[in-house]
Amino acid sequence: MTRSVTAELLILRKRAATWILLGIWTFLGIFFAYVIPYALDPEDSPGGVGRFLPESFVGNVLAGFPFFGGVFALMLGVFALGSEYGWDTLKALFTQRSGRLQVFAAKLAALGIVLIPFVLAIFIAGAVASYVIAQIEDAPANWPSAWMLVRAIAGGWLILAVWAALGVLLGVVSRGTSLAIGVGILYALVIEGLLSAFADGVGVLEPLTNVFLRANGYSLATALGASTYTIGSSGPGSYNGPFVASGQALAVLMALIVGFVAFTALKLRRRDVA
Amino acid sequence: MSAAPNTIFSGRSDLDGAVARAQHDSPSDGEYVVQTRGLTKRYDDAIVAVDDLDLRVRRGEVYGFLGPNGAGKTTTLRMLLGLVRPTSGHAEVLGAPPGAPRGLARIGAMVEASAFYPHLSGRDNLRVLARYAGVPERRIDAVLEQVKLNARADDRSARYSLGMKQRLGVAAALLKDPELLILDEPTNGLDPAGMAEMREFIRSLADAGRTVMLSSHLMGEVEHVSDRVGVISAGSLIAEGTLDELRGRAGLRIRAEPLAQAARVVGELSGVEAVSSADGVLEITVDTLQAPTINRALVEAGIAVSELHAHTASLEDVFLELTTNGDDVS
Repeated sequence: MTRSVTAELLILRKRAATWILLGIWTFLGIFFAYVIPYALDPEDSPGGVGRFLPESFVGNVLAGFPFFGGVFALMLGVFALGSEYGWDTLKALFTQRSGRLQVFAAKLAALGIVLIPFVLAIFIAGAVASYVIAQIEDAPANWPSAWMLVRAIAGGWLILAVWAALGVLLGVVSRGTSLAIGVGILYALVIEGLLSAFADGVGVLEPLTNVFLRANGYSLATALGASTYTIGSSGPGSYNGPFVASGQALAVLMALIVGFVAFTALKLRRRDVA
Repeated sequence: MSAAPNTIFSGRSDLDGAVARAQHDSPSDGEYVVQTRGLTKRYDDAIVAVDDLDLRVRRGEVYGFLGPNGAGKTTTLRMLLGLVRPTSGHAEVLGAPPGAPRGLARIGAMVEASAFYPHLSGRDNLRVLARYAGVPERRIDAVLEQVKLNARADDRSARYSLGMKQRLGVAAALLKDPELLILDEPTNGLDPAGMAEMREFIRSLADAGRTVMLSSHLMGEVEHVSDRVGVISAGSLIAEGTLDELRGRAGLRIRAEPLAQAARVVGELSGVEAVSSADGVLEITVDTLQAPTINRALVEAGIAVSELHAHTASLEDVFLELTTNGDDVS
């Protein structure tokens, strides 16, 4: 199994798309979390310039994970499996010694590992950006505790992992990348948003919103320090609630991963490889 | 193919391991490495891709799986590899169900067009497969050497010509040092010299004890390398046997005047099994050693014999006779 995972890491590591996604996500993440908000009007926002300082950087960075970061993770997940159909390489993997589920497990493990630099890169960039702002503002650089940082990194990874798992599912179901990415972004941008909006007036939809990816992702992010103001004013994908309890958010996100992975495994195991 | 060396394949450089286990004994039940019974694949209950297929591939032979495009060859091979589930029927490959890891570990396969990660080099593509197959990475250089792709091994596979991809596909199939090689249209994309060398290479694999199941729509390819041939058409196996069995017994062809009288004279001779005429030529099913006797009888009957020669049907003749859709055949 270890060698299978290293094989998958080789595929991902040498793929330009992996690095391009990592670079764009890190750059734009910092751009929208620090550069633009700080340059525009830091004094008028709740928390003022304080939300850009090191003591708040964890929450500030994490606010970008449930939607913006999620879309990048979704694409990474789609590429991990969907591209195999485009390249016609799945049959080569399935005819080696490993069984189909072992191939799938190796791909998931490698994807989970590759998500770690995605999380760490944005946290490091956020820390640097907040430190620079602290220097500019001549403000103290009070850093969050290590425990807080570890929890935030784990939470961020979990949020990205759910989106990546959704991407894997869509890539396998659509047997490709284009449709999967399109549907994934459509879901993220439109479907959850519209249904959440309708849920205010249609009671039967309300329980549904509690299991939405963004609702639970943002709820976890706020529990780990992200401000609701930042989340609600971050442009496309911004979210204004409802929020659920952190425990529920954690449970729902984990259940979504299990559900996405189980469904994909079933499809992958049973379906013919044409 | 810009860096193609004079010879494309070197067949015997690394034939150990599994090959040593292979035997050339006459076939018994245990000597069949591939067996199917009633193997059937239907799509949407309407399209029958493979219909009630019974075939057996013996250990150490090259089995040519011949059929027109769309006959069901690739679907059959995919079922044997566990990529496609049969609708009904049974298959066993190296004593294991199709797709079982214990069977796959001893099979090398190249199914349809060779497919690789375009952003990885040829070597890295093999590295990925070697890791999945649990094969030591030192095998990579060995198989690259066998297919003579070392010089371009570190180039991205996206930059390979079709012929180079085919060679990389063969290298991938050889990685596990397999007992059974399943090759689907292995000469696609190769130039005539490359095709000839590929045929020689395949033959050398079998001569060294490997079993090769070779699917092709090219009769020359099958005819030159196969020990036995199965002919599939519209999903059904319509003939199976050695080349000699498929071609049938040799006979004589005679051009003579008058033809009708010649036919009557020949038909009265002992040992002649059948006489037919077409396009002014008599086709006689008979032991070809009787040619002098037949010639003498015709001359003594006052018949002018302008041509008499032994004739064996080519595989192409047999194939076209067996399949109705001859247009698809190259």
